[in-house]
Amino acid sequence: MSRPLINRSPLPGMALSAGITLTLLSLVVLLPIGALLLRGATAGFPALWHEVNTPRIWGALFLSFKLSLYAALINLVFGVALAWVLVRYRFPGRRLLDAAVDLPFALPTAVAGIALTALYAPNGAFGSIAKDLGFKIAYTQWGILIALIFVGLPFVTRTVQPVVEEIEREVEEASATLGATRAYTLRRVVLPMLAPAAMTGFALSLARAVGEYGSVIFIAGNIPLKTEIAPLLIVIKLEEFNYTGATAIGIAMLLISFAMLLVINAIQVFSRRRIGYV
Amino acid sequence: MSDVPTNHWPKQPASAAHRPVTTESPGFRVALIAVVVVFLALLLFAPLVAVFAEALSKGAVEAIKSLANPEATSAIKLTLIVAAVAVPLNAVFGIAAAWFITKYDFRGKALLITLIDLPFSVSPVVAGLCLVLTFGANTAVGGWLVAQGYPIVFALPSIILASMFVTFPFVARELIPVMIEQGKAEEEAALTLGASGWRIFFTVTLPNIRWALLYGVLLCNARAMGEFGAVAVVSGKIRGQTATMPITIEMLYNEYLSVSAFSLAAVLALLALVTLTLKTLLEWRFADQLAAANRL
Amino acid sequence: MQIEIDHISKEFGATAALHPVSLSIPSGALVALLGPSGSGKTTLLRILGGLEFPTAGRVLFDGSDATNMTVQDRRAGFVFQSYALFRHMTVFENIAYGLRARSRAQRPASAEIARRVTKLLELIQLPDIGARYPSQLSGGQRQRVALARALAIEPRMLLLDEPFGALDARVRKELRAGLREIHDTTGLTTVFVTHDQDEAMELADLVVVMSMGRIEQIGRPQDIRAKPATAFVREFLAI
Repeated sequence: MSRPLINRSPLPGMALSAGITLTLLSLVVLLPIGALLLRGATAGFPALWHEVNTPRIWGALFLSFKLSLYAALINLVFGVALAWVLVRYRFPGRRLLDAAVDLPFALPTAVAGIALTALYAPNGAFGSIAKDLGFKIAYTQWGILIALIFVGLPFVTRTVQPVVEEIEREVEEASATLGATRAYTLRRVVLPMLAPAAMTGFALSLARAVGEYGSVIFIAGNIPLKTEIAPLLIVIKLEEFNYTGATAIGIAMLLISFAMLLVINAIQVFSRRRIGYV
Repeated sequence: MSDVPTNHWPKQPASAAHRPVTTESPGFRVALIAVVVVFLALLLFAPLVAVFAEALSKGAVEAIKSLANPEATSAIKLTLIVAAVAVPLNAVFGIAAAWFITKYDFRGKALLITLIDLPFSVSPVVAGLCLVLTFGANTAVGGWLVAQGYPIVFALPSIILASMFVTFPFVARELIPVMIEQGKAEEEAALTLGASGWRIFFTVTLPNIRWALLYGVLLCNARAMGEFGAVAVVSGKIRGQTATMPITIEMLYNEYLSVSAFSLAAVLALLALVTLTLKTLLEWRFADQLAAANRL
Repeated sequence: MQIEIDHISKEFGATAALHPVSLSIPSGALVALLGPSGSGKTTLLRILGGLEFPTAGRVLFDGSDATNMTVQDRRAGFVFQSYALFRHMTVFENIAYGLRARSRAQRPASAEIARRVTKLLELIQLPDIGARYPSQLSGGQRQRVALARALAIEPRMLLLDEPFGALDARVRKELRAGLREIHDTTGLTTVFVTHDQDEAMELADLVVVMSMGRIEQIGRPQDIRAKPATAFVREFLAI
C-alpha cells in the first residue's frame, strides 16, 4: 500500500511553509552542493583522479583523517569522563564548567586558532615550557591535534550527558548486589550503556575535525606533506584558479562526510533495535 | 510504589565506609574531577584568557585605538550586516521548516530532515567551494549576474549565502523536537474556534516556541558572526569591502599586528561569552521548553 | 539464614524514615513487609541488602554482626521493583552476570556457568529465552529473569521490592505461586515488600505491618487478621 504523497490537513499554511522551506533549502544548500557534483561529473572521473592522485593531496587527506581520528579518540575518553563528572559529582564550579563546555561551539574558529597559536607557539605561555623540554607544539602535527581536540570537545560530552542522567540507579545497585565491584559495574554495565551515545559523539567530533579549517591553519604551519590539511588544499587550488583540482578534493571530502553520516545513523538504528533506546 | 525516590542521586556520601553503592571512592572522584578540570583549563580557559591578555598586552588604550581604525570598523559593520540578513532569513526558514515538518504528514519527511542537517557535516571550506562553483564569475549563472552588475562571489551576497549555509540547521533543529513534543492539538483547537492561520501562529504556536526560537537564533547568530572557513573562500578578502571580522583578524595576524588582531578577536570572544551566558540562562530558566536532549 | 534486626533507625537528613525497629526472621521463612508508601518498608529492605546503611542499630546474620558488611559481601539476592535488568545484555548474560563478576579464583568455568544458567532458566520455566534481550520480553518474563539472576549468585537470602508491583492481576497470581514454589525448593530466607495486603496474607508465613517508619504488628497472617494489634492495622487491612 503506498500512502499518499501528502495527507490532507485542516491546518493552514502548508503551501507557504513548504514553499519557504524548499526554496531556501534549494537555494542555499542543494543548488551549491549540486553544482559541486555537476562540476565533478562534467570533469569526469579520470580528470578528478588525476588531480587527487598526487602525494601532496593524499598526504593532506591522510593527515586530516589521521589527526582527526586521534583528536576524536581523545575527545571520546575525556568527553565520557567529563559527562560523568558533570552529572554525577557535586563540586564548586561545576555549573561554570558545564556552561564552558560549549565554548568551542560559540567561539569563532579564527579566534580559537590565533589564541591557541599564541599559547602553544615557542614564545607562548605553554609553548615556551615545551621548548625548554626540547619539544615543539605549534607548527607541528601536535599543534593541529590540539586545535582539533578543541573544536571537537563538546560533541561527546553533550551526547553522553543526557544518557548518564537517565541511567536508573537500580541498575547499578543490581550489579552491586550481584557481587560486582564498583570498577566491574562501571566497565560492564555503565560504559556499555553509554557506548552508543559516545560513538555518536565520536563520529560527530570526527566529522567536524576532518572539515575544520579556521582553528587549524594558524597553528599548523602548513608545510606540504607535513602539516598541510585537506581543506587548506582546496583554498590553495582555488587561489591557483584550478577549479577541477578544488572540485576533486571537495568531492573526496564530501564523500568522507557522507560516509560518517551513514555510520552515525547505523549506530543509532543498531542500538535502538537491540536495546530499545539510544 | 517505592518508599524512596530512586531517581534521586545521593549528594554526599555519609562516610567513607558507608558511601552509597552507586558512587566511586572519594579518591577516584577527586582524581577524575582534577583530570577534567586540568584538561578544560589547558584547552578551553587558557585560550580565552590568552585572547584578552594579548589584546591588552600594550594597554587598554592601544586595544581600543586599534578597534577604531577604519579597517576594523568596516569589518565590524560588514559582520553586523551579514548577521542582520542571514540570521532573520534562517529564522524564517527554521520556523517554516519546523511548521511544515511537524504539522503535516507527507512522504520523504526523513529525507527532508537529513537534507536540512546536511550543512553540519559539510566542511565550511567545501561549502565555500560549492558557492564559488555555483555563482563564480566563470559559471553560467554567476557570469550572467556579473554582466548585469550583480556579482555574487567576492561580494556581499556570497558572504551572506556562506553564513546561511553553515548556520542553516540551527533554528530548525531547535524547533522541530519542541514542536513535535507539543503536537498540533492546540493549533487544531484554535482552528475549530475560527482563528485564521496567522492568528493561530502568532497567538498559539509562537508563544509555545519562543524560548526555543530565541535559543536557536542565539546559536545561529554566534556562528554566523564568527564563520571563517566558508567566508574565507567566497569573500575574496578585499580590505574594507569583503573582509568580515574573522577575515580581518586573519589579515592583521598575518601582518604581525598582534594587538589589532587580538583586540578584534576579543570583541568576538566577548560575543561568544555573552552567547554562552544567555544560552545557559535560557537552559536553567526554560529547560522544559527547550529541546534539552538534542543540544548539538 | 536467620536475620536479626536490632533497633535499626534511619534518617534522611532531618526526616526519620525508620524509628528504631527490631525484628527477628527465622531461617527459611517467607516474610512480607506490608505497609502503605512512606511506611519505611523499602528502606528496611534496602538496609538488609546493604544498599543503605542504618543511622543506628545492628543487623545480624546467623548471629554475627553484618551492619557494616558491604553489599557485595552480603550475597543477598535482590529483585528490584523495576527489575533493573541490564538492557544491553541477553537474558543469558544477565543471569550469568553475578558469576562472571567474581574474582578469578572464585569464578566458575564458563561451561559450569552455562550449566547453571540453563538450570535457572528451567527453574523459572523459560528455558528458551536465553538469547533474547530484556526489551523483547513481557513484564512477567522480565520479573522471572530478575529472580533467576538474583538466584544465580547462590544467595544467602532473597530480598524482593514490590516484586509484582508492575504487573497485571492475572500475571500477579501466577507469579505469586511461582515465588512460593521457588522459596520452597531453595529453602532461602525470603523477605518481600508489598503494599498489597492480599499478596502478603496469601504468600507469607510471617507478615510485618509497617506504618510511618514503625512496625505496627508482626504475626502469622491468620493471627493478624484475627487480632489486629492497632487501629492502623485494623484500618489498613479493612477488617
